[in-house]
Amino acid sequence: MALTHEDVRKIATLARLRFTPEEEARLTGQLATIVDYIDQLQGFEGAAPDAAAQGVREAADQPQDCLPRERFLANAPASMDGFLLVPEVKGGGGDA
Amino acid sequence: MPELWELSAEEIAGRVRSREASAAEVLESCLARTAEIEPLIGAYLEIFEEEARARAAGIDRRIAAREDPGPLAGVPVALKDNLSLDGRALTCGSRVLAGYVAPYTATAVERLLAAGAVPFGRANMDEFAMGSSCENSAYQLTRNPWDLARVPGGSSGGPVAAVAAGSVPLALGSETGGSVRQPAALCGVVGVKPTYGRVSRYGLVAFASSLDQIGPIARNVRDAALGLQIIAGEDPRDATSAAEPVGDYLARIEGGIAGLKIGILREIDVARLGGDIEGNWRQSLDRLTALGAELVEVSAPSVEAAIAIYYVIATSEASANLARFDGVRYGRRSPEADDLIDLYFDSRGEGFGAEVKRRIMLGTFALSSGYYEAYYGRARGVLERMRHELDAAFGKADLLATPTTPSAAFRLGEKVDDPLAMYLSDIFTTPANLTGVTATAVPSGADSDGLPLSLQILGPRFGEAGMFRAARAFEREMGWTVAPGFRGALMNLENGA
Repeated sequence: MALTHEDVRKIATLARLRFTPEEEARLTGQLATIVDYIDQLQGFEGAAPDAAAQGVREAADQPQDCLPRERFLANAPASMDGFLLVPEVKGGGGDA
Repeated sequence: MPELWELSAEEIAGRVRSREASAAEVLESCLARTAEIEPLIGAYLEIFEEEARARAAGIDRRIAAREDPGPLAGVPVALKDNLSLDGRALTCGSRVLAGYVAPYTATAVERLLAAGAVPFGRANMDEFAMGSSCENSAYQLTRNPWDLARVPGGSSGGPVAAVAAGSVPLALGSETGGSVRQPAALCGVVGVKPTYGRVSRYGLVAFASSLDQIGPIARNVRDAALGLQIIAGEDPRDATSAAEPVGDYLARIEGGIAGLKIGILREIDVARLGGDIEGNWRQSLDRLTALGAELVEVSAPSVEAAIAIYYVIATSEASANLARFDGVRYGRRSPEADDLIDLYFDSRGEGFGAEVKRRIMLGTFALSSGYYEAYYGRARGVLERMRHELDAAFGKADLLATPTTPSAAFRLGEKVDDPLAMYLSDIFTTPANLTGVTATAVPSGADSDGLPLSLQILGPRFGEAGMFRAARAFEREMGWTVAPGFRGALMNLENGA
């Protein structure tokens, strides 16, 4: 399938990625080539998934210690009073 | 008289446990060797000199107190930089995680520590494990120890190059589409992808959760088997880890393969292989026959779609797994953004490299409304067919064999502008990741440029013991030694040649 610049822009928005015009041009070409290669899958037969799903082992529902808050927040870009700090939502960022 | 750094992991542990050598001596030998070769190959992002010395001293104290530190006593091990070690940096080769410090230790690494191993350093990798050359690391280039102008392979290029060059006898890498076996093939060492679920993924940064597995890298098959023995087993912290009991991989590893059936896929187009690879492949088949194995033809037509399937499934899962890198809880946060949504776009745009972005985009596309059925849905369907075909192949043969890669190590820069050409490096390795079976790359000789070539042996799910036995038999017949006696192109450079 022929991937257009418009397609790439829509996908970028979904992926929360921003590109410069040069990056977008190069990426469109590369993705188009790769998607063309992937399109060969249309020529292969598929099979239905096995009816019996693998047994899911459930853990006992018991409270356990988890990562202490200070260790978790040690990697936080910004935090305050034990909470993560983020900018407010002002409605920017494309079609997000 | 070999130096301590030249010894196998098994020999080192034996000497440390029997007090013929101290863990400290072993470490100093590896540190000295690493200091010689590291400026040439650039395998490490960080070497844990102080911490390793402290651990080695601890091992020696326990030995002195007549305790047994375990089967890897005193063995220095390199860790691919996507494996968490409490208190140490972890970057996954990405700018996105610059400054991140792991707040816990991966289960596989915990098990190494419990066996007496000494974590030696963080080894370089393609960013977020996406690549087949190690050229996608945001930090540095790693070079193939056999020819410094060539790639070591990827994404576990760093740990593989470290082992191949004699820095450490053992390393842990990770696999999603061949990222342990392919670099192992290009650097003349042994690399293993365990059965999916054999090793806990707890503490391994996720790329594609249905494919990822941690795998050992070593200069010989016994060491690789020993490494897997230590890290394998069910883990309550990884719901995808298998309850299947872990066998004893070393018990019958010298048993040979007389009478074993080895399946050769009809779909391997020998004409597509580079000239030297074809000759070496035929030689490998002759060796297997000489060892008493019976070669049988098997067929799995869907393997021809393996790369296409892989680049849908792996990228789809990656697009979900890498959504967490949004600048909120950890990792790079764009200083410019004053709006939350801009924060996501800017942090990710600034932090990720080109290949990572490319794959996130592919995966997002494959999962998006209007394309989901045609891409993700279809890929899963063909994958299911491939699973059936390989199961049937293992019904006819005990093991399968293929070349590990379609070519020997290529030159640095050769494929960076052609993503698809780079992806095709994984043509023989991806089927094992996609279907969950186990596979090992073992050195099979060298091409006319002196570059290593490799044979891949695949086993059915949880068939590691049989796979190791075959790899060991082949290795014995080959007589290939990377160390002791390893010198390769690196030595020529040291001698000024």
